[in-house]
Amino acid sequence: MKRYDQISSLIWFFFAIYICVESIRLPLGSWRDPGPGFLPLLVGLILAGLSIICFMQARMAESTEQKASWYSRKRWKNLIWVLLALLAYALVLDHLGFLMSTFLLLIFLFRFGMEPQKWFWAIGGSVIASVSCYVVFELWLQTQLPKGILGF
Amino acid sequence: MDLLSNLQLAFSVIFQPGNLLFCFVGCLIGTLIGVLPGLGPVATISLLLPSTFHITPVSAIIMLAGIYYGAMYGGSITSILVNIPGEAASVITCLDGYQMARQGRAGPALGISAFGSFIAGTLATMMIMLVAPPLANFALKFGPPEYFSLMFLGLTVLTYLASGSMVKALMMACVGIFLGTIGTDNISGIERFTYHSYTLMDGIGLIPVIMGLFGISEVLLNIDQAARQEIYKTRIANLLPSLRDWKDSILPIIRGTFVGFFLGILPGGGAVIASFAAYAVEKKVSKHPEKFGTGAIEGVASPESANNSASQGAFIPLLTLGIPANVVMAILLGALLIHNIKPGPLLIRDHPDLFWGILGSMYIGNIMLLILNVPLIGMWVKILKIPYPILFPLILLFCLIGVYSVNNNIFEVIIMIVFGIIGYLMKKFAYEGAPLILAFVLSPLMENALRQSLIMSHGSFSIFFTRSISLFLIASALFLLLMPLLPWFRKRPKGGDFD
Repeated sequence: MKRYDQISSLIWFFFAIYICVESIRLPLGSWRDPGPGFLPLLVGLILAGLSIICFMQARMAESTEQKASWYSRKRWKNLIWVLLALLAYALVLDHLGFLMSTFLLLIFLFRFGMEPQKWFWAIGGSVIASVSCYVVFELWLQTQLPKGILGF
Repeated sequence: MDLLSNLQLAFSVIFQPGNLLFCFVGCLIGTLIGVLPGLGPVATISLLLPSTFHITPVSAIIMLAGIYYGAMYGGSITSILVNIPGEAASVITCLDGYQMARQGRAGPALGISAFGSFIAGTLATMMIMLVAPPLANFALKFGPPEYFSLMFLGLTVLTYLASGSMVKALMMACVGIFLGTIGTDNISGIERFTYHSYTLMDGIGLIPVIMGLFGISEVLLNIDQAARQEIYKTRIANLLPSLRDWKDSILPIIRGTFVGFFLGILPGGGAVIASFAAYAVEKKVSKHPEKFGTGAIEGVASPESANNSASQGAFIPLLTLGIPANVVMAILLGALLIHNIKPGPLLIRDHPDLFWGILGSMYIGNIMLLILNVPLIGMWVKILKIPYPILFPLILLFCLIGVYSVNNNIFEVIIMIVFGIIGYLMKKFAYEGAPLILAFVLSPLMENALRQSLIMSHGSFSIFFTRSISLFLIASALFLLLMPLLPWFRKRPKGGDFD
């Protein structure tokens, strides 16, 4: 954990610097009447201080056994696929409409998400799940799901 | 005879057919997601939040509350049968529950956790009735400095009780406060950190952040670990605990109820911590502590009671002070605000049907849950058998629909995915999500209270120390913050002791 803590505390430190720089550009106000930049600056400074403490603690700590790697050695490809699929879904949802995009997303996740399911089950499950979500959310709860170019 | 007329109101609200239905739906969904690992009450409640916009606020809160305490019942089932906690508050139940199942005593373990939860839930509801109204009266004296100090204390308690490093928890609280400042400043109207994004002008939404940090990231972790679930093959018989079991567990149940209730009220506490604390207490008072971990029924009864009474006790600060004690309460606060109800000391007076209706629903909900969890246990065991590769696309889909349907805004879906990745990395690098979320929700409230207090005092921070209630709260918070430093003054710390 030692190395991880050093890396992550550095990331938070730079994030804190970003917060401070950006909040100084906002009106800070005075102690009598704190402005919109007051709290972000305060929090940014505290965060910077804490990340330094965290870094020092990690440095001083005796090196312990390396814990499991932060990315999954076996399945990192699956993780990337799932994340890409979610992003793609967000991008096409308004164009393809809810039913179509959901159907495609589910097929993809069933096939490539963790363990490939048989095509028959992947397609069947996707049809059932997307149609039943459509019925529940669009027809019953009247959520305004996107219609897309196909009109459904 | 005030209490009687209030009770009458409570039951008249809950026995309206609509409310009764929503209470049942809440309990049912709660048990379901408690059973399913990887979908906790936090994600589910934020998921269903948008669908409650169409129903009355009373029905909405009754249903969402049912999900929360229902999950406490359901979570124990997976802990006992599969040794995988259905949700975080049942982690500790695995220790003795799973051992009991391996010894062929799955029935009594499931039975005592359901009955214990029922007893704890009912007692906790009674205690809320006694504690909440006087507390709300007391809170009428609170001004901005007291509110600021109280929220400060709440955040401190949460970071103090964090399971990992306290420094890291404090860092997460800072990040949460920062995220809460994004958007249009509601005093000056100046945009902060929005970069002219239309979506960010209203601030980052609570729901995308929660669904990302607790829903998506959980799924990502599960894909990663791909835990194969082995249900312990055993016949579930004798759900009704024997007289001996009762004798062993009645005191642990009552102790668990009280421990849970008080940790539940405490801002920053909550069901997870309560269950751990109750287990520790039982081990301390037990005459045979060595039996814990090998299938002691006390080790199931006490934490299961504690997490239930904590989940109900947590309603007290929300309904009397308007301050959420944990993440779930933070979402419920959001739900109330959406329905134009401002939780606070005036809530009991202004919306008695809401307050007493929730209490009534807790009595009835606990009875429903007892029925759902004892005679119908077989149904839940079947659901447990759905393999994760089939389950996770559906969980992801629910998250997507849930976030999209709040504002019909694709950008919020992307925010959710980003926070999903952040949440995944936070778990891998051992940072906790709870302080971040609570700080994020409290941030606007805290900022208003802080700035109003400073305006009141003409810029002097002494206002927090000259008013007695505020002084007490701030002093308690500082005490907790400085406590870890104490050993430094006494002796040199041993390496790594601090995390």
